Amino acid sequence: MQDSGLKAEYAALVRDATGGDRAAMERLLMRAQETAYRFSLLVCGHPEDAEDVMQESLLNTYRHVKHISDPEAFRTWLYTTVRNACLMKRRRRAGEPAAFVSVEQDVDGEERRPLADLADHSVPADEQLMADRRNGRLRDALKTLPGSYRMIVVMREMEGLSTKEVADITGLSEANVKTRLHRARVMLRRRLETV
Amino acid sequence: MNELPTECRAILASISAYLDGELDGTACEAIEQHCGRCASCANVVTGLRETVGLCRQAASVPLPEAVRRRARESVRQLLDHESKKTS
Repeated sequence: MQDSGLKAEYAALVRDATGGDRAAMERLLMRAQETAYRFSLLVCGHPEDAEDVMQESLLNTYRHVKHISDPEAFRTWLYTTVRNACLMKRRRRAGEPAAFVSVEQDVDGEERRPLADLADHSVPADEQLMADRRNGRLRDALKTLPGSYRMIVVMREMEGLSTKEVADITGLSEANVKTRLHRARVMLRRRLETV
Repeated sequence: MNELPTECRAILASISAYLDGELDGTACEAIEQHCGRCASCANVVTGLRETVGLCRQAASVPLPEAVRRRARESVRQLLDHESKKTS
């Protein structure tokens, strides 16, 4: 399964990194930062905050990994700390208008065409254009969801976490996570029909 | 407002579990049979399946290259700094 596969992958990286493998440590820290940036941007919508959360996750992950006793629990730990950092950022920005940008957009506001930049000729240009439009519609729909629902959609659908992992991270029951995810999907569907 | 039939309400309540593969064969078959004769529920199932698919496709979008570069640089600086401390 996707979620248990990713969890095992993280755990293996953690074991190699703590065993003194510098390349594994580099990969682990890069993945932690990527996760932190993507999650923060999708949930909060502020690229400056996303970079801050990314930096925090680098130091936190490095310190945590040196003393980790259960590599299997690393992924849940990572999302818990990233979620908490996002909540702090959101509290500080309470009252400000949401300024959502896309995950493909840089801090300076320059929009990238990810696959075009990577020169991936395996994807025809018309298909890429359709994908960009779909992602734009999804972003617009996602930002209209209540924050706690948006977080669950991001964790479950986009980050591939299991219901149990989301329950552990958020402190909600698994039944509650499922109920919120279902409601969020219904809301997203309605928004997608109108945006 | 029109009240939904009981059968439709039961189907709508379990659509997410159906899409996530959490239902047994009998329950899946009941949903599929119901959708075969109820266009309204069939539309909801199709719509939610598309929504979930859209979210999962969006998950593969890579980070901006400039952000990735800064992240890589931070990792190298941290590890170089730490290895100097221990050597």
